[in-house]
Amino acid sequence: MEQWRGHLHRIGPLLVLAVGVAALVGAVELSLGSLTEPGPGLWPFVAALLLTGTGLVLLVVDDPEDYEPFTRGSARIAGGLAGLAVFVAAFEVVGFVLPAFLMLLLWLRVFGREPWRLALGLAAAGSIGLYVLFDTVLGVRFPSDAVAGLVGA
Amino acid sequence: MGVLDGIAQGFAVALDPVNILYVFIGVLIGTVIGVLPGLGPTATIALLLPLTYEIEPHTAVILLAGIYYGSMYGGTITSVLLRLPGEAASVVTTFDGYEMAKQGRAGPALGIAAIGSFVGGVLSVVGLALLAPPLAALAVSFGPPEYVALTVLGILLITYLGTGSAVKSLCMAALGLLLATVGQDPIAGTTRFTFGQVALFDGLDFVAVAMGLFGVGEILHSLERTEKAQAVARRIKGIWPSRADMRDSAGAIGRGSVLGFLIGVLPGGGGVVSSLASYALEKRRAKDPSRFGRGAIEGVAGPETANNASSTSAFIPLLTLGIPANVVLALIFGALLIHGVTPGPQLIDQHPEIFWGVIASMFVGNLMLLALNIPLVGVFVQILRVRAGILSAFALLVTMAGVFSINNDATDMWVVLAFGLLGWLMKKTGFEPGPLVLAFVLGPVLERAFRQSMLISGGSLSVFVTRPISGGLLAATVLVVVISVVTARRRARVLHRHDELTPAEGER
Repeated sequence: MEQWRGHLHRIGPLLVLAVGVAALVGAVELSLGSLTEPGPGLWPFVAALLLTGTGLVLLVVDDPEDYEPFTRGSARIAGGLAGLAVFVAAFEVVGFVLPAFLMLLLWLRVFGREPWRLALGLAAAGSIGLYVLFDTVLGVRFPSDAVAGLVGA
Repeated sequence: MGVLDGIAQGFAVALDPVNILYVFIGVLIGTVIGVLPGLGPTATIALLLPLTYEIEPHTAVILLAGIYYGSMYGGTITSVLLRLPGEAASVVTTFDGYEMAKQGRAGPALGIAAIGSFVGGVLSVVGLALLAPPLAALAVSFGPPEYVALTVLGILLITYLGTGSAVKSLCMAALGLLLATVGQDPIAGTTRFTFGQVALFDGLDFVAVAMGLFGVGEILHSLERTEKAQAVARRIKGIWPSRADMRDSAGAIGRGSVLGFLIGVLPGGGGVVSSLASYALEKRRAKDPSRFGRGAIEGVAGPETANNASSTSAFIPLLTLGIPANVVLALIFGALLIHGVTPGPQLIDQHPEIFWGVIASMFVGNLMLLALNIPLVGVFVQILRVRAGILSAFALLVTMAGVFSINNDATDMWVVLAFGLLGWLMKKTGFEPGPLVLAFVLGPVLERAFRQSMLISGGSLSVFVTRPISGGLLAATVLVVVISVVTARRRARVLHRHDELTPAEGER
């Protein structure tokens, strides 16, 4: 276990390498053509070659100091991102106001550690205010809104 | 059209009430986000890109440029008062600015920074107006091989002059080039890397990628690190520097203007490099270098002047060659493309209102910043009371709503989210998102120029070396890479030394 820990930072370059190799294969499948008559795959091939090459170099020479440790804070950020994903999914179904309210509440309570009353107030004001700004003032067409539909707006 | 006619036209544009309003909004937003750590000019411009769809292209650039140089002013405030650089270019200001503040001289430090920034900005605007037209005239004769050489030079310079590891930056530039190929082949129209998704046929949306990487990614990254912000209660007195202060810093301001201007023109130059270079120059010239790091006013005046001068001259390569010199300019490049304007040598003739209007607006904007900064420093500092959690929650929500508004399509929201995750992970693993976005913007330009070059030369790569200008540019590329590898070591040493110095002094 211990001897592996020193090599954890190599996951990044390995991922880069994997993407590079996959892109090389994809570019070849698109057909490279020749320099006189370049095929659609030639340019992506050049880019993928550069990606693979730098990935290989990084695998060997990369400085572990560049990497920040993943902490409990990181886990919270990941949770916040998951919350955002739920927001987008819900937005497509029930419109802006309700998902925005819940998303703001989550972030203000969990990340901002704001007191309940302030978090609730800000979330309500923010979700309604931004809805009015984008939908009514700027004329963006959000998906039909469940909450705005209830109050007949 | 002569330079004087151009400037006259420019002021006609810049003094239009609508544009005055947008310059004001731009420099105000710029100052505010410059004060706030964790929300830099790149993130802000990325977040505001969708809102520029509705306004005229020249007004859009005037607004975005105002945010850019406005943030240079704003970053100074927190560097001096709290040793908390609001954006990267102000790190150098913490060396002497914070020391001055500890000695009760925060006022003069902020005052001289504002004055220096103003002088640097205005001199740089003049240089821009004089230098850009001849450069554009020269660039009109460029063919595809020259563009390949120029673009490669630009991308390489940015990876080498950047702050992190050069190999990692190059790696990210390669990824940007690769991501730019998603969608239809620019010449034959074959779809590439779309995995059968119709939404990807037009390629990844630049705005969504930039908002994800810079907006969401940076918010997440800084949120993870910021501690509770300190409230500032101290009153700042005597902003206007004394006559002795002015005399001490006059030389530094003059040298900072020239140095900042020259470095800003270079791709990858931008704020951090110019302010570091100016600091190093002032320290070397000083009779008593040991004063630096202990509250030398030249150590504030020079770098602050230089970073503002460079943020103005960085527009030269964009407006004349169509090559953005750094990430912020890449975003502005993207904003112009969205409006159907392709920046390049023809810009002066085809869109004089953009070219001269932006130049004139910078003059107006710098004047506003000087007027805003000196009396209102105390007000701006209060912005720090807004807590990071509240700020980030709202910024994320506005991002999501904004990106949806581009195409009224929730797919873009998923793209932002995916690139936000990528941007956060990149930040944590030391990969810079800047080169990625820059290469992403330049990718299609580079590919088209490369393939056209191959058609011209009948498939021979020697075309890049045998044509004098492209050959010269490639030689310059090699030269600059060699030089920057050497100077990067020295720069790292300067920063390193300060890292060792500052904690010890902070404990006193």
